[in-house]
Amino acid sequence: MRKILKIISVSLILAISLALLAGCGGSQEKKIVIGSKNFTENMVLGEIFAQVIQDKTDLKVEYKENLGGTMVCFEAIKKGDLDIYPEYTGTGLTAHLKMDVINDADRVYDIVQEEFNKQFKIKWLKPLGFNNTYAVAVKEDYAKENNITKVSELVPLAKDLTFGGEHEFFDRQDGYEGMIETYGLNFKSAPAKMDVALKYQAISQGKMDVTDAFATDGQLITYKLTILEDDKNFFPPYYAAPIVRNDTLEKYPELEEVLNSLAGKISDEEMQMMNYKVESEKKAIRDVARDFLTEKGLLSK
Amino acid sequence: MSQIFMSTYEHLRITFEGVAIAIIVGIAVGIVISRHKAVAGVVMSVADIIQTIPSLALLAVLMMVFGLGNTPAVVALFMYSFLPIVRNTYVGITGVDKSLTEAGTGMGMTRLQLLFKVKIPIAMPIIFSGIRVAVVTALGVATIGVFIGSGGLGNFIYRGVQMGDVKMILWGAIPLSILAIGFDVLLEQGEKRMVKSRARRI
Repeated sequence: MRKILKIISVSLILAISLALLAGCGGSQEKKIVIGSKNFTENMVLGEIFAQVIQDKTDLKVEYKENLGGTMVCFEAIKKGDLDIYPEYTGTGLTAHLKMDVINDADRVYDIVQEEFNKQFKIKWLKPLGFNNTYAVAVKEDYAKENNITKVSELVPLAKDLTFGGEHEFFDRQDGYEGMIETYGLNFKSAPAKMDVALKYQAISQGKMDVTDAFATDGQLITYKLTILEDDKNFFPPYYAAPIVRNDTLEKYPELEEVLNSLAGKISDEEMQMMNYKVESEKKAIRDVARDFLTEKGLLSK
Repeated sequence: MSQIFMSTYEHLRITFEGVAIAIIVGIAVGIVISRHKAVAGVVMSVADIIQTIPSLALLAVLMMVFGLGNTPAVVALFMYSFLPIVRNTYVGITGVDKSLTEAGTGMGMTRLQLLFKVKIPIAMPIIFSGIRVAVVTALGVATIGVFIGSGGLGNFIYRGVQMGDVKMILWGAIPLSILAIGFDVLLEQGEKRMVKSRARRI
Protein backbone atom coordinates (compact mmCIF):
# COMPACT_ATOMS: atom_id res chain seq x y z
CA MET A 1 0.00 0.00 0.00
CA ARG A 2 2.66 2.48 1.13
CA LYS A 3 4.76 1.52 -1.85
CA ILE A 4 2.00 2.17 -4.34
CA LEU A 5 1.21 5.53 -2.79
CA LYS A 6 4.88 6.36 -3.04
CA ILE A 7 4.99 5.35 -6.69
CA ILE A 8 1.95 7.46 -7.46
CA SER A 9 3.30 10.52 -5.69
CA VAL A 10 6.70 10.19 -7.35
CA SER A 11 5.17 9.92 -10.81
CA LEU A 12 2.92 12.88 -10.04
CA ILE A 13 5.87 15.00 -9.03
CA LEU A 14 7.70 13.92 -12.15
CA ALA A 15 4.77 14.81 -14.39
CA ILE A 16 4.33 18.21 -12.79
CA SER A 17 8.00 19.10 -12.98
CA LEU A 18 7.96 18.06 -16.61
CA ALA A 19 5.03 20.37 -17.17
CA LEU A 20 6.85 23.23 -15.49
CA LEU A 21 10.02 22.57 -17.45
CA ALA A 22 8.07 22.65 -20.69
CA GLY A 23 6.56 25.96 -19.67
CA CYS A 24 9.94 27.57 -19.17
CA GLY A 25 11.27 26.44 -22.53
CA GLY A 26 10.30 29.26 -24.88
CA SER A 27 12.20 32.44 -24.19
CA GLN A 28 11.15 35.57 -26.06
CA GLU A 29 13.92 35.83 -28.62
CA LYS A 30 13.46 36.83 -32.25
CA LYS A 31 10.94 34.26 -33.27
CA ILE A 32 7.92 34.15 -35.53
CA VAL A 33 5.22 31.52 -35.81
CA ILE A 34 3.83 30.40 -39.15
CA GLY A 35 0.66 28.36 -39.41
CA SER A 36 -1.15 26.43 -42.10
CA LYS A 37 -4.58 24.92 -42.64
CA ASN A 38 -5.41 21.26 -42.87
CA PHE A 39 -4.76 20.52 -46.51
CA THR A 40 -1.69 19.81 -48.58
CA GLU A 41 -1.50 23.03 -50.57
CA ASN A 42 -1.69 25.26 -47.53
CA MET A 43 0.94 23.19 -45.76
CA VAL A 44 3.27 23.44 -48.75
CA LEU A 45 2.83 27.22 -48.80
CA GLY A 46 3.50 27.51 -45.07
CA GLU A 47 6.66 25.49 -45.54
CA ILE A 48 7.73 27.74 -48.42
CA PHE A 49 7.25 30.83 -46.25
CA ALA A 50 9.21 29.21 -43.44
CA GLN A 51 12.13 28.27 -45.65
CA VAL A 52 12.36 31.65 -47.35
CA ILE A 53 12.26 33.48 -44.03
CA GLN A 54 14.87 31.19 -42.52
CA ASP A 55 17.04 31.69 -45.57
CA LYS A 56 16.88 35.45 -45.83
CA THR A 57 16.55 36.65 -42.24
CA ASP A 58 18.04 35.66 -38.91
CA LEU A 59 14.60 35.11 -37.38
CA LYS A 60 13.78 31.82 -35.74
CA VAL A 61 10.75 30.23 -37.36
CA GLU A 62 8.31 27.92 -35.69
CA TYR A 63 5.96 26.18 -38.13
CA LYS A 64 2.64 24.85 -36.88
CA GLU A 65 1.31 22.94 -39.83
CA ASN A 66 -1.98 21.17 -40.39
CA LEU A 67 -4.06 23.19 -37.92
CA GLY A 68 -7.76 22.30 -37.80
CA GLY A 69 -8.95 24.51 -40.66
CA THR A 70 -9.61 28.09 -41.67
CA MET A 71 -11.26 29.21 -38.44
CA VAL A 72 -8.49 27.83 -36.22
CA CYS A 73 -5.82 29.66 -38.22
CA PHE A 74 -7.80 32.85 -38.33
CA GLU A 75 -8.59 32.90 -34.60
CA ALA A 76 -4.95 32.12 -33.86
CA ILE A 77 -3.57 34.94 -35.98
CA LYS A 78 -6.06 37.41 -34.50
CA LYS A 79 -5.02 36.34 -31.02
CA GLY A 80 -1.32 36.55 -31.85
CA ASP A 81 -0.51 32.86 -31.61
CA LEU A 82 0.35 32.90 -35.28
CA ASP A 83 2.19 35.68 -37.09
CA ILE A 84 1.71 34.47 -40.63
CA TYR A 85 -0.36 31.96 -42.58
CA PRO A 86 -1.37 31.49 -46.23
CA GLU A 87 -4.92 32.65 -46.93
CA TYR A 88 -7.08 32.94 -50.04
CA THR A 89 -8.70 36.22 -51.10
CA GLY A 90 -12.12 34.62 -51.65
CA THR A 91 -12.01 33.01 -48.21
CA GLY A 92 -11.05 36.31 -46.64
CA LEU A 93 -13.99 37.99 -48.31
CA THR A 94 -16.74 35.46 -47.67
CA ALA A 95 -15.64 33.57 -44.55
CA HIS A 96 -13.89 36.27 -42.50
CA LEU A 97 -15.53 39.48 -43.68
CA LYS A 98 -18.89 37.75 -44.29
CA MET A 99 -19.40 39.66 -47.52
CA ASP A 100 -21.06 38.52 -50.72
CA VAL A 101 -19.16 36.92 -53.53
CA ILE A 102 -17.42 39.30 -55.96
CA ASN A 103 -15.89 38.08 -59.20
CA ASP A 104 -13.38 40.81 -59.92
CA ALA A 105 -10.04 39.55 -58.57
CA ASP A 106 -8.44 42.96 -58.04
CA ARG A 107 -11.45 44.35 -56.26
CA VAL A 108 -11.57 41.36 -53.93
CA TYR A 109 -7.90 41.84 -53.08
CA ASP A 110 -8.37 45.56 -52.45
CA ILE A 111 -11.35 44.93 -50.20
CA VAL A 112 -9.69 42.25 -48.05
CA GLN A 113 -6.52 44.33 -47.90
CA GLU A 114 -8.35 47.36 -46.58
CA GLU A 115 -10.87 45.63 -44.31
CA PHE A 116 -8.38 43.25 -42.70
CA ASN A 117 -6.16 46.18 -41.87
CA LYS A 118 -9.07 48.10 -40.37
CA GLN A 119 -10.88 45.29 -38.57
CA PHE A 120 -8.17 42.84 -37.59
CA LYS A 121 -4.82 44.69 -37.91
CA ILE A 122 -3.64 42.07 -40.38
CA LYS A 123 -1.87 42.79 -43.63
CA TRP A 124 -2.29 40.96 -46.93
CA LEU A 125 1.03 40.73 -48.69
CA LYS A 126 1.27 40.30 -52.46
CA PRO A 127 -0.53 37.29 -54.01
CA LEU A 128 1.64 34.32 -54.89
CA GLY A 129 0.23 34.03 -58.38
CA PHE A 130 -2.10 31.05 -58.58
CA ASN A 131 -5.86 31.04 -58.19
CA ASN A 132 -7.20 28.05 -56.29
CA THR A 133 -10.81 28.62 -57.21
CA TYR A 134 -13.57 26.15 -57.84
CA ALA A 135 -13.57 24.71 -61.32
CA VAL A 136 -15.58 22.26 -63.38
CA ALA A 137 -13.72 19.09 -64.30
CA VAL A 138 -14.39 16.22 -66.70
CA LYS A 139 -12.28 13.25 -67.77
CA GLU A 140 -9.50 14.14 -70.15
CA ASP A 141 -10.70 11.55 -72.69
CA TYR A 142 -14.21 12.92 -72.64
CA ALA A 143 -13.04 16.47 -73.21
CA LYS A 144 -10.93 15.35 -76.18
CA GLU A 145 -13.63 13.20 -77.75
CA ASN A 146 -16.17 15.98 -77.62
CA ASN A 147 -13.66 18.71 -78.23
CA ILE A 148 -14.70 20.91 -75.32
CA THR A 149 -12.57 23.32 -73.34
CA LYS A 150 -15.14 25.66 -71.81
CA VAL A 151 -18.00 25.18 -69.37
CA SER A 152 -20.50 26.75 -71.77
CA GLU A 153 -19.68 24.07 -74.33
CA LEU A 154 -20.96 21.55 -71.82
CA VAL A 155 -24.50 22.94 -72.00
CA PRO A 156 -25.75 21.02 -75.07
CA LEU A 157 -24.18 17.79 -73.77
CA ALA A 158 -25.44 18.11 -70.20
CA LYS A 159 -28.69 16.18 -70.70
CA ASP A 160 -26.67 12.94 -70.92
CA LEU A 161 -24.34 13.70 -68.02
CA THR A 162 -24.49 13.36 -64.25
CA PHE A 163 -22.89 15.81 -61.89
CA GLY A 164 -21.41 14.93 -58.51
CA GLY A 165 -19.46 16.84 -55.89
CA GLU A 166 -18.69 17.18 -52.20
CA HIS A 167 -21.43 18.34 -49.85
CA GLU A 168 -19.97 21.79 -49.32
CA PHE A 169 -20.23 22.68 -53.00
CA PHE A 170 -24.01 22.43 -52.78
CA ASP A 171 -24.26 24.74 -49.77
CA ARG A 172 -22.12 27.59 -50.99
CA GLN A 173 -23.05 30.84 -52.64
CA ASP A 174 -20.44 30.15 -55.27
CA GLY A 175 -21.52 26.54 -55.66
CA TYR A 176 -23.85 24.29 -57.60
CA GLU A 177 -27.09 26.32 -57.79
CA GLY A 178 -25.33 29.45 -58.96
CA MET A 179 -23.29 27.51 -61.48
CA ILE A 180 -26.19 25.74 -63.24
CA GLU A 181 -28.17 28.97 -63.25
CA THR A 182 -25.37 31.06 -64.70
CA TYR A 183 -24.61 28.57 -67.44
CA GLY A 184 -28.11 27.18 -67.94
CA LEU A 185 -26.88 23.66 -67.35
CA ASN A 186 -29.49 20.87 -67.22
CA PHE A 187 -27.94 17.62 -66.07
CA LYS A 188 -29.53 14.21 -66.58
CA SER A 189 -30.43 13.67 -62.96
CA ALA A 190 -30.19 15.23 -59.53
CA PRO A 191 -26.55 15.71 -58.51
CA ALA A 192 -24.73 13.09 -56.43
CA LYS A 193 -23.40 14.43 -53.15
CA MET A 194 -20.48 12.66 -51.53
CA ASP A 195 -17.40 13.04 -49.40
CA VAL A 196 -14.61 15.04 -50.98
CA ALA A 197 -12.20 12.10 -50.77
CA LEU A 198 -14.49 9.91 -52.91
CA LYS A 199 -15.35 12.27 -55.70
CA TYR A 200 -12.33 11.71 -57.93
CA GLN A 201 -12.63 7.97 -57.61
CA ALA A 202 -16.29 8.18 -58.53
CA ILE A 203 -15.62 10.13 -61.71
CA SER A 204 -12.67 7.97 -62.76
CA GLN A 205 -14.80 4.86 -62.33
CA GLY A 206 -17.48 6.38 -64.53
CA LYS A 207 -20.07 6.69 -61.76
CA MET A 208 -20.52 10.32 -62.75
CA ASP A 209 -19.27 12.52 -65.57
CA VAL A 210 -18.77 16.04 -64.27
CA THR A 211 -17.52 17.26 -60.91
CA ASP A 212 -16.39 20.39 -59.18
CA ALA A 213 -12.70 20.62 -58.39
CA PHE A 214 -10.14 22.97 -56.95
CA ALA A 215 -8.11 24.43 -59.75
CA THR A 216 -4.77 23.48 -58.20
CA ASP A 217 -5.78 20.04 -57.02
CA GLY A 218 -2.97 17.50 -57.46
CA GLN A 219 -5.47 14.69 -57.84
CA LEU A 220 -6.62 16.12 -61.16
CA ILE A 221 -3.33 14.78 -62.51
CA THR A 222 -3.64 11.43 -60.74
CA TYR A 223 -7.12 10.77 -62.11
CA LYS A 224 -6.52 12.31 -65.55
CA LEU A 225 -9.13 15.03 -65.35
CA THR A 226 -9.32 18.27 -67.29
CA ILE A 227 -10.57 21.60 -66.06
CA LEU A 228 -13.04 23.44 -68.28
CA GLU A 229 -12.57 27.16 -68.58
CA ASP A 230 -15.03 29.20 -66.53
CA ASP A 231 -15.88 31.40 -69.54
CA LYS A 232 -18.73 33.22 -67.85
CA ASN A 233 -16.52 34.09 -64.92
CA PHE A 234 -18.86 32.58 -62.37
CA PHE A 235 -16.39 31.30 -59.77
CA PRO A 236 -14.93 34.01 -57.55
CA PRO A 237 -11.17 34.42 -57.25
CA TYR A 238 -9.24 32.54 -54.57
CA TYR A 239 -5.75 33.97 -54.97
CA ALA A 240 -3.37 32.82 -52.24
CA ALA A 241 -1.24 35.32 -50.35
CA PRO A 242 0.61 35.46 -47.04
CA ILE A 243 -1.26 37.34 -44.35
CA VAL A 244 0.76 38.82 -41.50
CA ARG A 245 -0.06 40.57 -38.26
CA ASN A 246 0.65 44.30 -38.41
CA ASP A 247 2.59 44.30 -35.15
CA THR A 248 4.80 41.48 -36.42
CA LEU A 249 5.63 43.60 -39.45
CA GLU A 250 6.43 46.56 -37.21
CA LYS A 251 8.82 44.41 -35.20
CA TYR A 252 10.40 42.70 -38.21
CA PRO A 253 9.82 44.95 -41.24
CA GLU A 254 12.19 42.82 -43.33
CA LEU A 255 9.48 40.14 -43.48
CA GLU A 256 7.44 42.10 -45.99
CA GLU A 257 10.16 42.25 -48.59
CA VAL A 258 11.17 38.64 -48.04
CA LEU A 259 7.66 37.28 -48.45
CA ASN A 260 6.89 39.61 -51.34
CA SER A 261 9.82 38.07 -53.18
CA LEU A 262 7.39 35.18 -53.72
CA ALA A 263 4.79 37.42 -55.36
CA GLY A 264 3.50 36.00 -58.63
CA LYS A 265 6.06 33.21 -58.52
CA ILE A 266 3.69 30.22 -58.32
CA SER A 267 1.44 29.46 -61.29
CA ASP A 268 -1.68 27.27 -61.20
CA GLU A 269 0.25 24.44 -62.85
CA GLU A 270 3.22 24.73 -60.53
CA MET A 271 1.01 24.64 -57.45
CA GLN A 272 -0.88 21.69 -58.86
CA MET A 273 2.37 19.87 -59.52
CA MET A 274 3.57 20.44 -55.95
CA ASN A 275 0.28 19.14 -54.57
CA TYR A 276 0.59 16.12 -56.84
CA LYS A 277 4.13 15.38 -55.66
CA VAL A 278 3.03 15.39 -52.04
CA GLU A 279 -0.27 13.57 -52.42
CA SER A 280 0.43 11.03 -55.11
CA GLU A 281 4.19 10.62 -55.11
CA LYS A 282 4.24 10.83 -51.30
CA LYS A 283 7.19 13.20 -51.26
CA ALA A 284 7.89 15.11 -48.05
CA ILE A 285 6.43 18.61 -48.00
CA ARG A 286 9.77 20.00 -46.87
CA ASP A 287 11.56 18.56 -49.91
CA VAL A 288 8.89 19.66 -52.36
CA ALA A 289 9.07 23.21 -51.01
CA ARG A 290 12.86 23.30 -51.07
CA ASP A 291 13.04 21.91 -54.61
CA PHE A 292 10.60 24.54 -55.82
CA LEU A 293 12.48 27.40 -54.16
CA THR A 294 15.82 26.19 -55.45
CA GLU A 295 14.49 25.77 -58.96
CA LYS A 296 13.17 29.32 -58.91
CA GLY A 297 16.41 30.66 -57.48
CA LEU A 298 14.64 32.04 -54.43
CA LEU A 299 17.09 30.73 -51.88
CA SER A 300 20.44 32.38 -51.37
CA LYS A 301 22.18 29.70 -49.33
CA MET B 1 11.62 6.83 -37.03
CA SER B 2 12.92 9.43 -34.60
CA GLN B 3 9.82 11.42 -35.45
CA ILE B 4 7.68 8.60 -34.10
CA PHE B 5 9.62 8.57 -30.84
CA MET B 6 9.33 12.34 -30.53
CA SER B 7 5.61 12.19 -31.18
CA THR B 8 5.15 9.33 -28.73
CA TYR B 9 7.04 11.24 -26.08
CA GLU B 10 5.02 14.37 -26.79
CA HIS B 11 1.81 12.34 -26.67
CA LEU B 12 2.71 10.87 -23.30
CA ARG B 13 3.70 14.24 -21.93
CA ILE B 14 0.41 15.88 -22.85
CA THR B 15 -1.55 12.93 -21.51
CA PHE B 16 0.29 12.82 -18.19
CA GLU B 17 0.15 16.54 -17.64
CA GLY B 18 -3.60 16.52 -18.15
CA VAL B 19 -4.20 13.43 -16.05
CA ALA B 20 -1.80 14.56 -13.29
CA ILE B 21 -3.74 17.78 -12.80
CA ALA B 22 -6.98 15.80 -12.89
CA ILE B 23 -5.66 13.41 -10.23
CA ILE B 24 -4.75 16.22 -7.87
CA VAL B 25 -7.88 18.27 -8.41
CA GLY B 26 -10.18 15.28 -8.84
CA ILE B 27 -9.18 13.50 -5.63
CA ALA B 28 -9.28 16.73 -3.64
CA VAL B 29 -12.71 17.64 -4.97
CA GLY B 30 -13.92 14.06 -4.49
CA ILE B 31 -12.91 14.13 -0.83
CA VAL B 32 -14.55 17.49 -0.21
CA ILE B 33 -17.84 16.57 -1.84
CA SER B 34 -18.01 13.25 0.00
CA ARG B 35 -18.93 15.36 3.05
CA HIS B 36 -21.45 17.56 1.27
CA LYS B 37 -24.08 15.56 -0.54
CA ALA B 38 -25.79 18.60 -2.04
CA VAL B 39 -22.62 19.96 -3.61
CA ALA B 40 -21.75 16.47 -4.81
CA GLY B 41 -24.80 16.37 -7.07
CA VAL B 42 -23.90 19.67 -8.69
CA VAL B 43 -20.22 18.81 -9.20
CA MET B 44 -21.07 15.43 -10.66
CA SER B 45 -23.61 16.89 -13.07
CA VAL B 46 -21.15 19.51 -14.27
CA ALA B 47 -18.48 16.84 -14.80
CA ASP B 48 -21.05 14.72 -16.63
CA ILE B 49 -21.96 17.59 -18.93
CA ILE B 50 -18.30 18.31 -19.70
CA GLN B 51 -17.88 14.66 -20.63
CA THR B 52 -20.63 14.94 -23.25
CA ILE B 53 -19.15 17.99 -25.03
CA PRO B 54 -17.69 16.77 -28.32
CA SER B 55 -13.94 16.97 -27.99
CA LEU B 56 -13.53 19.05 -31.14
CA ALA B 57 -15.95 21.69 -29.90
CA LEU B 58 -14.25 21.79 -26.51
CA LEU B 59 -10.86 22.23 -28.16
CA ALA B 60 -12.15 25.03 -30.36
CA VAL B 61 -13.38 26.94 -27.32
CA LEU B 62 -10.25 26.25 -25.31
CA MET B 63 -8.13 27.45 -28.20
CA MET B 64 -9.75 30.87 -28.05
CA VAL B 65 -8.79 31.14 -24.39
CA PHE B 66 -5.42 29.40 -24.24
CA GLY B 67 -4.14 29.83 -27.79
CA LEU B 68 -2.44 27.22 -29.90
CA GLY B 69 -0.22 24.39 -28.82
CA ASN B 70 -0.09 22.02 -25.89
CA THR B 71 -1.79 24.11 -23.23
CA PRO B 72 -5.39 23.85 -24.54
CA ALA B 73 -4.87 20.14 -25.18
CA VAL B 74 -3.70 19.60 -21.61
CA VAL B 75 -6.67 21.54 -20.29
CA ALA B 76 -9.07 19.48 -22.42
CA LEU B 77 -7.50 16.25 -21.18
CA PHE B 78 -7.80 17.48 -17.63
CA MET B 79 -11.49 18.15 -18.16
CA TYR B 80 -12.13 14.72 -19.62
CA SER B 81 -10.09 12.91 -16.96
CA PHE B 82 -11.75 14.80 -14.14
CA LEU B 83 -15.07 12.92 -14.12
CA PRO B 84 -13.87 9.32 -13.70
CA ILE B 85 -11.46 10.36 -10.95
CA VAL B 86 -13.84 12.59 -9.00
CA ARG B 87 -16.66 10.08 -9.28
CA ASN B 88 -14.59 7.12 -8.17
CA THR B 89 -13.12 9.09 -5.28
CA TYR B 90 -16.59 10.11 -4.18
CA VAL B 91 -18.07 6.64 -4.54
CA GLY B 92 -15.05 5.04 -2.91
CA ILE B 93 -15.09 7.26 0.14
CA THR B 94 -18.83 7.37 0.70
CA GLY B 95 -18.95 3.62 0.17
CA VAL B 96 -16.68 2.85 3.13
CA ASP B 97 -18.48 0.56 5.55
CA LYS B 98 -20.15 2.54 8.38
CA SER B 99 -18.95 0.06 10.98
CA LEU B 100 -15.33 0.80 10.06
CA THR B 101 -15.63 4.57 10.37
CA GLU B 102 -17.54 4.16 13.59
CA ALA B 103 -14.85 1.91 14.91
CA GLY B 104 -12.32 4.57 14.00
CA THR B 105 -14.30 7.26 15.77
CA GLY B 106 -14.66 4.96 18.72
CA MET B 107 -10.88 4.65 18.87
CA GLY B 108 -10.70 8.40 19.20
CA MET B 109 -9.52 9.23 15.68
CA THR B 110 -9.83 12.80 14.51
CA ARG B 111 -11.63 13.53 11.27
CA LEU B 112 -8.37 13.85 9.37
CA GLN B 113 -7.01 10.66 10.83
CA LEU B 114 -10.21 8.92 9.89
CA LEU B 115 -9.86 10.22 6.35
CA PHE B 116 -6.22 9.32 5.83
CA LYS B 117 -5.98 6.17 7.95
CA VAL B 118 -9.34 4.58 7.16
CA LYS B 119 -11.35 6.06 4.32
CA ILE B 120 -8.70 6.80 1.68
CA PRO B 121 -6.81 3.52 2.08
CA ILE B 122 -10.05 1.57 1.76
CA ALA B 123 -11.23 3.64 -1.19
CA MET B 124 -7.83 3.53 -2.92
CA PRO B 125 -8.52 0.61 -5.31
CA ILE B 126 -11.69 2.32 -6.53
CA ILE B 127 -9.92 5.68 -6.94
CA PHE B 128 -7.15 3.89 -8.75
CA SER B 129 -9.53 2.28 -11.21
CA GLY B 130 -10.86 5.78 -11.93
CA ILE B 131 -7.32 6.89 -12.71
CA ARG B 132 -6.93 3.90 -15.00
CA VAL B 133 -10.04 4.84 -16.97
CA ALA B 134 -8.83 8.44 -17.12
CA VAL B 135 -5.37 7.55 -18.43
CA VAL B 136 -6.64 5.26 -21.17
CA THR B 137 -9.32 7.73 -22.28
CA ALA B 138 -6.84 10.60 -22.24
CA LEU B 139 -4.36 8.70 -24.42
CA GLY B 140 -7.09 8.42 -27.03
CA VAL B 141 -8.40 11.97 -26.73
CA ALA B 142 -4.88 13.39 -27.01
CA THR B 143 -4.82 12.42 -30.69
CA ILE B 144 -7.21 15.21 -31.61
CA GLY B 145 -4.83 17.80 -30.15
CA VAL B 146 -3.45 17.91 -33.68
CA PHE B 147 -6.27 20.28 -34.65
CA ILE B 148 -4.86 23.02 -32.49
CA GLY B 149 -1.22 22.33 -33.18
CA SER B 150 -0.25 20.28 -30.17
CA GLY B 151 2.19 17.47 -30.78
CA GLY B 152 1.51 13.79 -30.43
CA LEU B 153 0.67 10.73 -32.45
CA GLY B 154 -2.50 12.32 -33.81
CA ASN B 155 -0.33 14.10 -36.39
CA PHE B 156 0.45 10.85 -38.17
CA ILE B 157 -3.11 9.59 -38.01
CA TYR B 158 -4.70 12.80 -39.24
CA ARG B 159 -2.20 13.36 -42.03
CA GLY B 160 -2.55 9.72 -43.06
CA VAL B 161 -6.31 10.03 -43.30
CA GLN B 162 -5.98 13.22 -45.36
CA MET B 163 -3.63 11.62 -47.83
CA GLY B 164 -5.25 8.18 -47.85
CA ASP B 165 -1.91 6.83 -46.66
CA VAL B 166 -2.57 3.73 -44.56
CA LYS B 167 1.08 3.31 -43.65
CA MET B 168 1.19 6.74 -42.11
CA ILE B 169 -2.02 6.09 -40.16
CA LEU B 170 -0.43 2.95 -38.73
CA TRP B 171 2.72 4.84 -37.70
CA GLY B 172 0.48 6.75 -35.37
CA ALA B 173 -2.07 4.10 -34.50
CA ILE B 174 0.26 1.24 -33.59
CA PRO B 175 2.36 3.09 -30.98
CA LEU B 176 -0.86 4.56 -29.63
CA SER B 177 -2.48 1.14 -29.24
CA ILE B 178 0.63 -0.21 -27.57
CA LEU B 179 0.59 2.68 -25.11
CA ALA B 180 -3.12 2.32 -24.36
CA ILE B 181 -3.01 -1.45 -23.87
CA GLY B 182 0.28 -1.24 -21.98
CA PHE B 183 -0.97 1.32 -19.50
CA ASP B 184 -4.25 -0.50 -19.09
CA VAL B 185 -2.48 -3.74 -18.18
CA LEU B 186 0.04 -1.99 -15.97
CA LEU B 187 -2.57 -0.06 -14.03
CA GLU B 188 -4.77 -3.13 -13.78
CA GLN B 189 -1.91 -4.94 -12.08
CA GLY B 190 -1.54 -2.04 -9.67
CA GLU B 191 -5.22 -2.14 -8.95
CA LYS B 192 -5.16 -5.88 -8.25
CA ARG B 193 -2.26 -5.51 -5.88
CA MET B 194 -4.07 -2.86 -3.96
CA VAL B 195 -7.14 -4.99 -3.57
CA LYS B 196 -4.91 -7.78 -2.27
CA SER B 197 -3.05 -5.58 0.17
CA ARG B 198 -6.31 -4.17 1.41
CA ALA B 199 -7.67 -7.66 1.92
CA ARG B 200 -4.60 -8.53 3.94
CA ARG B 201 -4.91 -5.48 6.15
CA ILE B 202 -8.57 -5.86 6.75
